[in-house]
Amino acid sequence: MLKFIIKRILMVIPVLIGVSIIVFCLLRVFAPDPAPIVLGEHATQASMQKWRDSQGLNKPVITQYVTYMEGVFKGDLGTSYYTQTKVTDEIMARFPATIELAIVAIIFASIVGIVLGVVAAVKKNSIFDAVSTLIALVGVSIPIFWLGILLMMIFCGPTTHIFPAGGRITPLMDPSHITGLFTVDALLTGNWASFNDAVRHLILPAFTLGMYSMAIITRITRSTMLDSLNQDYVRTARAKGIREVKVIMKHALRNSMIPVTTVIGLQFGALLGGALLTESVFSWPGIGKFTVDCIMKSDFPIVQGIVLLIAAIFVLVNLAADIAYAFLDPRIRYTSKKEE
Amino acid sequence: MHKRNVQLVVGLVIAFAMVFALTGCGGGTTSDNNAASTSLKDTITFAQGADPRGLDPAYVDDGESSKVIVNVYEGLLKYADDSTQVEPCLAESLPDVSADGLTYTFHLRKGVKFQDGTDFNAAAVKFNIERQLAPKKTDDMPYADFVWGTVKSVEATDDSTVVITLNQKNSAFEANCAMSLGAPMVSPTAAQKDNNNMNENPVGTGPYKFVSWKKGDSVTLVRNDDYWGTKAQTKNLIFKVIPDNAARVLALTNGDVDMIDGIDATAVDQIKGAGDVLQTTEGMNINYMAMNVESPIFKNADARMGVAQAINRDELVKNLYQGYATPASTILPVFVPGFGKDVQQTGYDEAAAKAALAKAGVKTVHMITYSNPRPYNPATGSKLATAIQGYLQKVGVSCKIDTYDWTTYKTKVTAGDYDLCFYGWTGDNGDPDNFLNLLATNDWSQNVSRWQDQTYIKGIADALAMPNGDTRNAAYATLEKQAAAANVWYPINHTQLLWASSPGLKGVVYHMTGNTFFANCTVAAK
Repeated sequence: MLKFIIKRILMVIPVLIGVSIIVFCLLRVFAPDPAPIVLGEHATQASMQKWRDSQGLNKPVITQYVTYMEGVFKGDLGTSYYTQTKVTDEIMARFPATIELAIVAIIFASIVGIVLGVVAAVKKNSIFDAVSTLIALVGVSIPIFWLGILLMMIFCGPTTHIFPAGGRITPLMDPSHITGLFTVDALLTGNWASFNDAVRHLILPAFTLGMYSMAIITRITRSTMLDSLNQDYVRTARAKGIREVKVIMKHALRNSMIPVTTVIGLQFGALLGGALLTESVFSWPGIGKFTVDCIMKSDFPIVQGIVLLIAAIFVLVNLAADIAYAFLDPRIRYTSKKEE
Repeated sequence: MHKRNVQLVVGLVIAFAMVFALTGCGGGTTSDNNAASTSLKDTITFAQGADPRGLDPAYVDDGESSKVIVNVYEGLLKYADDSTQVEPCLAESLPDVSADGLTYTFHLRKGVKFQDGTDFNAAAVKFNIERQLAPKKTDDMPYADFVWGTVKSVEATDDSTVVITLNQKNSAFEANCAMSLGAPMVSPTAAQKDNNNMNENPVGTGPYKFVSWKKGDSVTLVRNDDYWGTKAQTKNLIFKVIPDNAARVLALTNGDVDMIDGIDATAVDQIKGAGDVLQTTEGMNINYMAMNVESPIFKNADARMGVAQAINRDELVKNLYQGYATPASTILPVFVPGFGKDVQQTGYDEAAAKAALAKAGVKTVHMITYSNPRPYNPATGSKLATAIQGYLQKVGVSCKIDTYDWTTYKTKVTAGDYDLCFYGWTGDNGDPDNFLNLLATNDWSQNVSRWQDQTYIKGIADALAMPNGDTRNAAYATLEKQAAAANVWYPINHTQLLWASSPGLKGVVYHMTGNTFFANCTVAAK
């Protein structure tokens, strides 16, 4: 098992190098010249040329890439062209917001998705099945942007001001900075007013962001549960007189969780990459909208840094999902022991 | 089984109703608290559409940064609240200008301190100007050359007197000293501590001082209790970032924020309907269509005139901007000195346009535009191009439109492969040269019609050297007439700046430069 984990972690390195080459080349080939954006309306051809020289943008792409990777291996992802701030500082200023939103969204999506999927499978062809299938269909089909605006109009309007219209926390209510996750920091410091405020800000964006993942998880849970419920071992368990709840939860659901875990892992990885639409609608200061803004401004160092980070996270989240298999499926553990 | 299902459904409905009721109670409590309070709030929250680029006036060029900067920093001079007339600020009077127009002597206000306790004096002014001059200037200081580019030397003759010598006459220099970008004074101590870049830790002399900047979320300022002038009326000032226009309007109408800008004309009814106050400020901008005089079609002056005759400016502006823009009679907005009230653009005449374009053999034109809204064109470049396409079709000219995102568009405009393009300008300093010089430069990223008329170029240089006053203004009016006769730009409109506030907000200055001054602002609880 340890060998497997080390092997998977080592695989991150070629993946990241591959990703860095692709994103580096794509930006250099397809992105517009950053000089007019950085230097502003008063930029002249001469000043832009001078700036490009100072940034090494007139050198061959391979030379630029080697210089960049030298910095990366030293832990220096560069400095934003646009804000002159270190890339790591820019990313870390926003990434906790993305993590917090993604965690809450995936928890919501997983709990609701698994419950709906199990109920739909157990009560196959009943009204519950129809309702959960409908919810899943709506979740997959509904445009995030539209859902976000709709929820804001319903819950944040002048007459129904139940939730705040956007942002992460009411200004001046931030808890002391420990982890960067406001809900966690508020809990750790016992700041209940901040906790309440942070939760109220989280509910609508997390619901909106988690809707699609919830639908996917519902569908995959239903389908794998139906498969499991028709297996011989479930029939045997029932024949032995085991209680139905135990049959469903221990025998059928546990076996169905492997593909569901894979999907949850993939969805979580995607959510950690940021959510442009949800962040835009709810003014959530995460990494998704920031990435798009930086792409539009041709801020190469920031885009490269974020893509590398997201690629690393995606690989690691999937590694975690793979490890989780071993706990869900004893056969994997036994196979691993035999290999060792 | 059926009965159990019904019980389950009922249970779920009750659980949902309880959760909804509990959260609803939470929201209601907040509203009640607001309603109970009749006193002034101790926090003003202003929502804008984007995060500032930075908070060092030497390193930024965007409006979002500028709005924060003018509340933290001050310059030697400032603009009047309702015009671009220059007034003293950190200088106690307007500068003494030598007879040859090359030496400006500033007498500084005494007893002023930066927010970190550093004295504001002549040495600080010298430091601020020299950090934006060679050899200290860096390439990424967007306004260094514009504001201080004509400065030859800066001398601190005593603690409160600064003598600035220019290397050429520049009548816009005083106006430059009042700008919010490049010109505000930063604390030399803080700048040296932060490696000469105060984007993250601004320290000025202004009525508010910096507390924190949560990237992508908000900038928080607090009243500077040691301010040299009248202290700010409200303790806290928050610039909240709400990128989505609809969400920003909602945040105002539900009371989450006290003031917003960057408003779509389509949201006006929603704002008014919620009891909030819609405000407009005349914009210091021009939205125009440029005809490329290097293109085979528009090197012909008759073809340019034909296009200008084909467009009904008043109708176009009314339909596109729904009453929140003024049709442009000339390049300069009406309040900028030098505005020529008798300048005549080529008038709308469909029949004459058809004849002129047919005679010039114009059947197809290549038009490039941008896909996004701009401050001078909130309707987006694509909609404007489509509208112009409609007018040209009526006179027998078809248009091939290529649309790009703004960054790509700027590259395409500089490359010059088009007959017609759309552009605009937001003024920096309220000086006529800032607008009219665009047609004199040979930098094609700015002079997008590529017109190079030697008489005009000389006229611009001469006018810049004239002392401010009627003679200079008349010179610019003449230049406007010359540009109008050449039909190289088709001036479309000056866009108004739309902003809105809660009814309890008083005393804010939303300046025509787009800056927001909150020192005298108060907000009553809604």
